[in-house]
Amino acid sequence: MTEATPTRQNIHDYLAELEDIPGTRVFTTARARKGYWLNQFCMTLMKSDNRARFKANERAYLDEWPMTEAQKQAVLNRDYNRALDEGGNIYFLAKVFFTDEISFLQAVGTMTGMDAAGYQAMMIAGGRSPVGLRSKKDPY
Amino acid sequence: MARITAGVASSHIPALGATIDHGKTQEPYWQACFAGFEWTRAWEAAQKPDVVILVYNDHATAFDMDFIPTFAVGCAERYRSADEGWGPRPVPDVIGDPDLAWHIAQSCILDEFDMTMVSKMDVDHGLTVPLSLMFDQPEAWPCKVVPLAVNVVTYPPPSGNRCYALGEAIARAVESYPQDINVQIWGTGGMSHQLQGPRAGLINAEWDNRFLDDLVNDPQRLRHIPHIEYLRETGSEGIEMVMWLIMRGALGPNVRALHRHYHVPASNTAVGHIVLEPVA
Repeated sequence: MTEATPTRQNIHDYLAELEDIPGTRVFTTARARKGYWLNQFCMTLMKSDNRARFKANERAYLDEWPMTEAQKQAVLNRDYNRALDEGGNIYFLAKVFFTDEISFLQAVGTMTGMDAAGYQAMMIAGGRSPVGLRSKKDPY
Repeated sequence: MARITAGVASSHIPALGATIDHGKTQEPYWQACFAGFEWTRAWEAAQKPDVVILVYNDHATAFDMDFIPTFAVGCAERYRSADEGWGPRPVPDVIGDPDLAWHIAQSCILDEFDMTMVSKMDVDHGLTVPLSLMFDQPEAWPCKVVPLAVNVVTYPPPSGNRCYALGEAIARAVESYPQDINVQIWGTGGMSHQLQGPRAGLINAEWDNRFLDDLVNDPQRLRHIPHIEYLRETGSEGIEMVMWLIMRGALGPNVRALHRHYHVPASNTAVGHIVLEPVA
């Protein structure tokens, strides 16, 4: 075995660092637990029959799952930053984007405060620079 | 004896699959992105691998919040293209190699890796987009595939060091497999992207290109990059690059780069692609 000796990481330091990135909700186990039903609702949209039922009456469909009211409202409003705060994960929420027949680019752009054209123009120009956006406590 | 003849790394963006499926690869937005895979398509046609060990991540498709395996080996006979919300991609079923897959699983477990064995799952764009990039749109995929799914969704994902060491274990597994077959290992996903929150759209071309450099020149540096550095420097989904280190670890200490491609943007992301060959 050539496995190098790893430096053991303190779990609390590890988790604290994950919260130090501006504009980012890392999908920690705390978020995973909070978002369990929100994310499992998203999974049901992998079936076309369920997508049709959801589109026909979103509120009624959401009420079939033991989600919190805040989670349901985040979905109804397509407020994806709120959905992330409520424990949603982007790969699960993507099932909602695709049910809406919009692309990742269009959906993700809504979380940035930019309009769709502005967001796409930023990407074509090379994307968002990490400069100043690497850390909340010590921006660099 | 089975042998690993090459390693391929590539991003696996869903929009790339949609663009291929809708025949739009020559549109101005996509042309330069797809041009970088033409060399590889011709090379793959000549290489004729028997099996590809395809390291990818499941995007909440086969594994939802009920089951989160860190390393899962696909041991099935065949895998269907998943419905991720817009219907299944119109691509052939992926044909597995259960004998090799079980061999890899048991060999890696004896090497102290806790593998999950999966005999029933659909595969999402993480697996089918790289096949389309390298093989275009054939009636049937030209080789068998052993899917190796890595959790990079729910934290913590495995460390880069652990991934590299798993690649080394996979190489030992393949070397001990008695059939005389040509095996490639692919690491997919990754390069800068952040798909969420106000910081979405982050791209760090300088960091990505240094990663590509060191896949060839200094892989030992890469295996010690902590998760927080991927997150800060390459966006929240840049963590997928740890999967490239499984591919790299399987190739042995020295490699030669045969082809390299980097393009921004494809949808929200940087596209990275490299083809490596082990050097004795």
